[in-house]
Amino acid sequence: MPEKVLLKTPVELYENGWIQKEAILYNDAIMVGGLNILFKEIKDVELTSYNGKTAIRLQTNNGEFFLNFGSKQGQIFRFLTFNLKADRFAVYFISPAIRGGVIVSDARWEKGYLAITENAIWFLSPNKQIRIPWDNLGSVGKELKTVNKKQRAVLKVTHVEKNEVITSYVLCPETTLELLDQYINQLLDRQKPREKLSEIEEQILTMVYSGVDSAGIESILGIPTEELNRYYDRLIELGLAKVVKIRKEIELTPKGVNLVNDAMKKVVG
Amino acid sequence: MPKVLIVDDAAFMRKLLRNILFTGGFDIAGEAENGKQAVEMYKQLRPDVVTMDIVMPEMNGIEALKEIKRMDPSAKIVMCTAVGQEQMVKTAIKLGAKGYIVKPFQAPKVIEELKRVAGI
Repeated sequence: MPEKVLLKTPVELYENGWIQKEAILYNDAIMVGGLNILFKEIKDVELTSYNGKTAIRLQTNNGEFFLNFGSKQGQIFRFLTFNLKADRFAVYFISPAIRGGVIVSDARWEKGYLAITENAIWFLSPNKQIRIPWDNLGSVGKELKTVNKKQRAVLKVTHVEKNEVITSYVLCPETTLELLDQYINQLLDRQKPREKLSEIEEQILTMVYSGVDSAGIESILGIPTEELNRYYDRLIELGLAKVVKIRKEIELTPKGVNLVNDAMKKVVG
Repeated sequence: MPKVLIVDDAAFMRKLLRNILFTGGFDIAGEAENGKQAVEMYKQLRPDVVTMDIVMPEMNGIEALKEIKRMDPSAKIVMCTAVGQEQMVKTAIKLGAKGYIVKPFQAPKVIEELKRVAGI
């Protein structure tokens, strides 16, 4: 049984509706009503919104819980992220360093942790608790960067956040860096397509990444819609893209043509 | 509308930038595929902004930046860099580049950066 009580606070727990309870935060667990959740059992934690309220989602071996701590939400979320079951590495990080291709001007190195859980990687510091789900992670690799006027190897992490590509940097001793690079890439490898893309497929991916629409892509590559659709199908099949909109092409019937003629008479006359 | 000169040795990147910037409300003054051509075109076209790739044949982006700034100290040049060119970006900023975008880029951010540099 946990011993040291850190905080007692009212909380709302979602059980077919938001129900008032009391939460007791211990050094190794959180008790909500009669429910005791050990930190070592927490697989994932996320700040989200659920049934009309902002909530902390706790995923444990025994299921998923949504909790609303009101004004203490931020404080408790921070505490939980620092205690969740994860492989944790002491690092310096900048996140985000680049947003959609533009350097974030006020980005600074922060002292904290890179934590790796089953579902996400985390940048943790007293000021930031950034969760990057594995599905949103793009690439991880080493890069040389000037830090305090010295060339240092850093880990560059790119991920997608609300349709924007974010780049973050991690600085740590080289042996840890090597280990992180290999470890994260091994986990990422599971999601990568095995097939090699053609030059045109890579160009289409780049254009979609840049926000060019289908008509723009057709015009840049000089290809008809049907051919672009075939490339899209393959990229979707490889899991590199998903359908967000189906465009319909129409042509007018004689009835439609007559209506346009009538409409024009009104405009002119 | 601000006029942009696009400088990149890769035809695909020029086309991509042209599409993004045109959609973003810029006029495309011209396209150059190396630094030497960029300097010549700058003389003739006097664009409001230049997007300048760094690694190019004939004359690279840094040298072209120097030449253009010598010719027109008020030239607004945004360096367009690939990853791992941080040192070159720093050199470019010292030489008077007004901003930089990193490849691969996303349209809204490119437009935002160029509008900032163009002062609109």
